[in-house]
Amino acid sequence: MNSQIKLSTVIGFFGEYGGKFVPETLMFALDELETTYKSLKDDPAFIEEFYKDLSHFVGRPSPLYFAKRLTEHYGGGNVWLKREDLNHTGAHKINNTVGQILLAKHMGKKRIIAETGAGQHGVASATVAARLGLECHIYMGAEDVRRQSLNVYRIKLLGAHVHAVDSGSATLKDALNEALSDWVTNIDNTYYIIGSVTGPHPYPMIVRDFNSDKTNGSAESNELFNKLPDAVVAFVGGGSNAMGAFYPFIKEDDVRLIGVEAGGEGVETGEHAAPLNDGTPGVSCTEIELIYCKMMMVR
Amino acid sequence: MHLFVKSGVDVIEIGVPFTDPIAEGPIIQKAHDRALKKDISLKNIVDMVIKFRETNSQTPIVLMGYLNTFIAHSDLIENSDNLGIDALLVVDIPGELKLDSYGIANPNIDTISLISPTTSDHRIKQITENSSGFIYYVNLRGVTGSSNLDMNEIEKNISKIRQYTKIPTLAGFGIKTPSDAKILAKCADGVIVGSSIVEMIDAAKETKDFSKIEEYLKDLHRAIN
Repeated sequence: MNSQIKLSTVIGFFGEYGGKFVPETLMFALDELETTYKSLKDDPAFIEEFYKDLSHFVGRPSPLYFAKRLTEHYGGGNVWLKREDLNHTGAHKINNTVGQILLAKHMGKKRIIAETGAGQHGVASATVAARLGLECHIYMGAEDVRRQSLNVYRIKLLGAHVHAVDSGSATLKDALNEALSDWVTNIDNTYYIIGSVTGPHPYPMIVRDFNSDKTNGSAESNELFNKLPDAVVAFVGGGSNAMGAFYPFIKEDDVRLIGVEAGGEGVETGEHAAPLNDGTPGVSCTEIELIYCKMMMVR
Repeated sequence: MHLFVKSGVDVIEIGVPFTDPIAEGPIIQKAHDRALKKDISLKNIVDMVIKFRETNSQTPIVLMGYLNTFIAHSDLIENSDNLGIDALLVVDIPGELKLDSYGIANPNIDTISLISPTTSDHRIKQITENSSGFIYYVNLRGVTGSSNLDMNEIEKNISKIRQYTKIPTLAGFGIKTPSDAKILAKCADGVIVGSSIVEMIDAAKETKDFSKIEEYLKDLHRAIN
């Protein structure tokens, strides 16, 4: 166990990482969200509502499936797949949006916004907003809108408005900037559902908790194998999947946690999606928590 | 910059280009994009200020930017005795944190913080304690260049800020016309205008005829005096 990792979230910092690096106008909304979450997270009625939605709306717990042929292919160990792809809307993203929409409901917010890259988080946000009949706006880079037209179609079918963002590189980071502009303007009635662990505190904590629910991880593993797994492998993009998968095991010294980033043309070429392998630490509102994952991966 | 001073500008704020200027509206966002395409760095801006200081040692200069840029160039800020820069305004650092935690403090440079309509009394106290130079009051819920000023709210909040600090409070965001400036100057110690000027600079980039900007600034100056 890496001793410098402190699981304290008292002020939203994880060692030197974490924090809230956003314009002043948003600080009030982050404080409001943190207060709401802290008052609800251990409330039995809230927990019951969340798990009821996870089982009846999302279809959790997702199966843990023994991949026989993949195991044979690699010729060692036993490979089990945690089938988050079988959740409603087809990804782990729905776990977090189901939880956050409950927070929005408790806060009395009538308008939902979210940013999305590949579109999965957009679909998951539009889905939970439609279920409660809330107005929903999804911000997406114009380039991503073009590349992910099927998800754009699904988001629109669910009644949400898709805003194609042209500025900068017209991808996820620009969509995030536009979503923040919307939030800062409509802060009184709008809930912003962030889907990765890269936002300002308390979002990373909330996304982590909703993605690492009790049906995920160690309890399940103990039940099936009477032991913990030797290793947990998760892909890392914005970190929500990896954080959810790793978090239940973070105190287990004997479980290796392996994060995998997309190497593209190769890390050395610069043409990749692997900022943790080839990037520099920063304190913008979009990168800090990834470093937390990195600390977990290198232990 | 000399034209600004000649036209009645008391303090000059220079935006430091950044890839994700999350507090800016479309006009200033595009200005950030243009500057980045021309590889304008903090170093270039410091050099520009040094050149400006050759003939003007009086007009205060504020750099407004985002934390990552300043961290990346911390040596430039921290180890300089006289950059000619009077204050830093780091938009995305919470007002209760101090710049010296990020290695970008300099005893000769003031720290300007934002206070917004949504800032709680408790935070106003913390922020004013950590600020020097002046307080930048954000007039509205929104990004730079927005509309809809709520004068009652602005007046109420600025007088609240004054209970906590003696340094001047300047009002910015959403000020477009001399009449906007005139009303705001009644409750604030000064007004900050950004998007309108940036838009005019962009419009005049081919002709280099900045007479409209001069006229606009003089009108603003007359309106607040």
